[in-house]
Formats: sequence, C-alpha cells, structure tokens
Amino acid sequence: MENFTNETIDTTQLPKFEEVVFSKLQPAYWKIILIQIAILFVLISIGYGVITTNAEELAPFQLQIGLCILGFLGLVLLFSRIGYNKKGFAFRQHDVLFRYGVIATNTLIIPYNRIQHVALHEGILSRFFGLAKIEIFTAGGHASDIEIPGIEKQQAENIKQLLMGKIQKEL
Amino acid sequence: MKTAFDQPQRQSSTGILVLFFDTAYDYLRALLPVFVLWVFKFNELNKIYFVLGVIAFLALFGMIAYLKYRNFTFYLDADKDEFIINEGIWNKTRTTIQLSKIQQVNITQSLIQRAIGVYALVVDTAASNDKEGKIKAISHELALQLKSKLLDNEKAVKSNILDDNAKEIPLQENHPFIKISFLSLIKMGMTSNYVKSFSLLLLFFFTILDYAEKIMGDNFWDDKNLPNFEASEFVIQSIFIVILFLFGVVILINLVRIVIKYFEYKITRQQGSLLLSFGLLDRKSTIIKPEKVQITSISQNFFQKKMDVLQLKIKQATQNEKEEQKAAIEIPGCNRKEKDAILNLLFQKIPQKGIMLKPNFRKLVFAVFLTIILPLIGFYVVKNFNPTLGKEYHYGVLIYVIFVGVVQYFKFKNNRLFIHDDFIIKQSGAWDVSNEIIEPSKIQAITTSQLFWHKNLNIGSITLHTAGGSIAFQLGNFNMIKQYTNLWLYELEQSDSNWM
Repeated sequence: MENFTNETIDTTQLPKFEEVVFSKLQPAYWKIILIQIAILFVLISIGYGVITTNAEELAPFQLQIGLCILGFLGLVLLFSRIGYNKKGFAFRQHDVLFRYGVIATNTLIIPYNRIQHVALHEGILSRFFGLAKIEIFTAGGHASDIEIPGIEKQQAENIKQLLMGKIQKEL
Repeated sequence: MKTAFDQPQRQSSTGILVLFFDTAYDYLRALLPVFVLWVFKFNELNKIYFVLGVIAFLALFGMIAYLKYRNFTFYLDADKDEFIINEGIWNKTRTTIQLSKIQQVNITQSLIQRAIGVYALVVDTAASNDKEGKIKAISHELALQLKSKLLDNEKAVKSNILDDNAKEIPLQENHPFIKISFLSLIKMGMTSNYVKSFSLLLLFFFTILDYAEKIMGDNFWDDKNLPNFEASEFVIQSIFIVILFLFGVVILINLVRIVIKYFEYKITRQQGSLLLSFGLLDRKSTIIKPEKVQITSISQNFFQKKMDVLQLKIKQATQNEKEEQKAAIEIPGCNRKEKDAILNLLFQKIPQKGIMLKPNFRKLVFAVFLTIILPLIGFYVVKNFNPTLGKEYHYGVLIYVIFVGVVQYFKFKNNRLFIHDDFIIKQSGAWDVSNEIIEPSKIQAITTSQLFWHKNLNIGSITLHTAGGSIAFQLGNFNMIKQYTNLWLYELEQSDSNWM
C-alpha cells in the first residue's frame, strides 16, 4: 500500500489506450455485409413461401409472419450497421487494438510480444471487392484472437508484414 | 543382481493378478448397465445360471489377463537409445520411446498393487499424452534399476545444460513434501458439491410433486382432499425423511468418489516442478511446472473454512482445446499451511491481495433480472395459456425465488477483483468462494467492455486472457480498469517476460 501513491503518478502518465484514434473499415465491407444479409433473407423468404403454400393452418397468419420477417430484417440491418460503424483497429508501437460490439463497446488489445501467428483470409465476396481479413492469434484461446475484416488487400498485406516483422524482432 | 534390460522381458508373474483386476474393472464398468438390470431382476433369475455366468466371466477375465501378461514385453535398445514396449493380444502395439525425450519416470503403487507387492512404472514424455509407456506390475528393485537406466541416458544428453546439483536428484527416491491425509479427504467429500446435490434434490422434489399429482388427479391440492390432519402430517414427515435420506445418499456418493479418485494424494518436489500422484484403483501422476502455470484457483466454503480444508485448482498452458480438461489439476483437501507451501513453490511468494475493486450494484440487479424476473415472466405466460397448472406451483416459485435470490446476493457480495503489483486475484462464488490468482506477466490479451448507457456511470468490464483460460470482472469502476489496463500493457510491452 505504501508505494501506491507513487504508482498513481506513473499510471496517469502512461500512454492511454482509450485515447487511441481507430481506423475505420473500408466502405466496401458494408456492401459485403448487405449482400450476406440479402442472401440470408432470400433463403428465409423462400422457406416462408414454401411453408405457407403447403400448410393450410398457417394461411390466416400469413400477414403477421411476413411482418415478423420484415421486422427481423430491419433489426438485423440496424445492428449490422451499428456493428460496422463501431468496428475499428489501431496499430501502436507495441500492441494492436481492435474495437467491436453492438450495444457494448469492446476493445481487445494484444501486445505484439504475445502474438503467436498472423493469417490473411479472403472470402469469395471479399476477393470480389478486393478486401481481406487479418487474423491475429495468441495463446489465449479463441476469445483473445483478433479478426479484422474489411481491409484493402494491399494494406492487409502490409499490416501482415509489419506484424511478422514485429514478432520476429520480439523473438 | 544387475539386469541389463536389453532382452525383451515380461512383468512380474504375480502381475497377472493386477492385470486380472484391471481387466475385470474395465469390463465391469463397460457392462454396468447390464449388471444393474440383473440386480433388479435378481429374483427372476435362475440362480444356477447366475453362478455359472459369474464363473464364466471370471474365467474369461483370467484368460484375458494371462494373455495380456504373455504378450507384454519391454526392453531397452542400447544401440538406438530407445525404450520399447510391446503389448496387445490381437492388436499388437509397439511403443517406442526415445530416451532423450523422457521427462519423468514415476514409480507408483495402487491398493491392489500394494496387496500383491508389485509397483507400476510410468514413463512420461514431453510430447503428447498418449505416447507414454506404462508397466503395470514390476518388482520394486527392478523398477528402481529400470528408472535409473532410463534417466541415466537423459543425463548424458542433458548434462551440458544442467548444473551439478540437479544431477543427483532423479536417482533419489523423493520424499513427498505434502501428503493429503485420509481425514482431509473425508472432510472434503462431506463438504463439497453441495450446489450440485441441492439442485439434484430440487429436481427430485418437483418430479415427486408432479408424480403425486398425476396419481391423485387434479384435485390433489384442493383443501377438501386433505381433511385428515394426521394424514397430511404423515405426508410432510415422509417427504422430509426422503429429502434427508437423499441428501445423505448424495453426500455418501460424493465422499466415495473423492476418496477413490484422490486416495493417498502425494506431492513431491522434483527439480523445481511438482510431481503429483493420487488414486485408489488407478494411480495417476502429473507434473506441474511453475512456469507453465497460468491460473491458480483456491476455493473454500463455510464448512471447509471451519475444518481448515480447501481445494486448489491449477490450470497450465494448453496447446489445444482438447487438452484443456486434462490441464486443470485439482488438489483437494489441503490445509492452509500446505496451500501456502504450494503457492510458495509456484510463485516464490505468497500472493497478496492489493487494491480491491467492487462491482456496481447494477450487476446484482441484472443478475436478479436474468435469473428471477425473466423466468417468472416466462412461467406466468406459460401458466396463462395452461390453466390446468395447479396452485401448488406457487410454493415452488416461492422456494425458487428465495433460493436464487440468496445465491445471487452472496455471489454479488463475494465478487471482487484484487490488484497487487505481482498478482491479480478474482474472488467469486456464492457458497464455494473461489480466488483465482494470475500473475500480470501471464496475460496474453486484454478486453475492456462497456455498454453505451454505462458511459456516464463510469462502469465497465474487463477480461484478462491467459493461455490457461480467462478471468473476467464485470461492472467495476471503469476509470480504474482503464488505468490498470494501461499499466499492465506497459509492463507486458516493457519486458519480454516469460509466460510459459
């Protein structure tokens, strides 16, 4: 307890993770999300159509079910947009930060000397838009891995090189 | 007598008995459901067939044991520096262990092995768990010789790295520095797993209520049906007795389980790491390496505190998810002194609790909402659509609300995060209060989290990820959390501290 006062001065002078400015994801990534949602709801609508034409008991509730699906679509769109807006990343001198969440704001921070390996992932849609996802793995299990989607391919490549360099240097 | 071990040789011939019991145990466990059925139908069975069947089974086990014995050989290949074990009746398995890979050779003895007078020898390798060798029956003299042979070779490889005083240690028979007494195990067995037992009991209670209602019809709970005061008293009494009886059974089962699993728990110090061995029927041994330890958790409830026993759980760094279950090592029934000795070995000092963080009262409100209000709403919605549910459920609801309410209150009261320069301790639990200890240098990543309506209240959550699992603390003072996050990050990034 004695040296606690000593420490408070220290901690206030430390670099603050909460003041870091985050880079946003590429706008093209929002298009990818929209396409994914569209595919999902086309599938749901097909299923809905098949069921209502075959099951007579459901016929009187057709409108209600349709409205429910529409409402659901609206909610998914809203949450996806919030999630997209909130996602951001930052690379500091000694660590990488990733911000995400919908109703909560989560910030995941991995020091470079704890990174196990880095991977670059391209989905079919992402490749079409020239985007890539960076995956950063630690020894701390799935919850402490960072996946940053919606980064331009070239930039992602650069980031990967940067991280690899950092890891090598730490070793 | 010096044995070279260069020729394939069998186990001690008395070892057939060990193999016999092992085989019988394995088969009986696999066939347990069939046996339970037999017991229930015992009266209908032809007694002669039954006896014949038992004899046939015993003969079969004997045959298998003998064949296992005949087909099990082991030897040292001096040219290739390998230890080789051949086993299997139909499917032959040949386990080859390179001597340089051997980390540990343990000589243990289970109850059966003690009765027969033989020992088991287990060879641990650095690699995976399945690639280890086990000899189930060997005389003590041979075991010691083989052990020194196996480790001798390791020293030849490692002698450049290890300093002189470390060399002598493997040859000595180490004396355990902690031995969990039988009494402690009994104390532990009688006081642990109450929550599990209680929920089982509640379940049983409701099943019985349901059953009674089905038998007696819908008006089981109508007052008209209970005019006879003596009769109702009898019902209450018998329910009470049944509950007591059940509680006793649960405690007894738990007691037997713990004694069998952790019988003669011994902890030995070996070159800076801890060697544990335990078990009545099947003796297990594991190693704890202090540098690999990620989370150390100490748990104790009210009764255990009075009796001075506690449970230690140690989580080591894991390579994959599958290993995770195995990696959590339990040491039940230590007293305070033994706990301090173990912690001293793991951390080189006794962990201290530093500054205390408390959760905001909203955590309690939210927990009550999730576990009481939501289920109640759900229950009454269901009840509305289903009016046949009797009013006896009000008693159930009342019991549930009181029980869960008390649990949540104590959970909230015990939920604390202690931050010290060298240790972070999270305290949690309602009845079994556990303290999870991590060192800041073991942190892999940090997640901070805040709901948007908590911004002005300045409360938020933090999760510390380590290679052995995570520690989370919710709804604490967010300024403090941010400040310490910055501090820990600074410490992690300043030095390349070793986390494994």
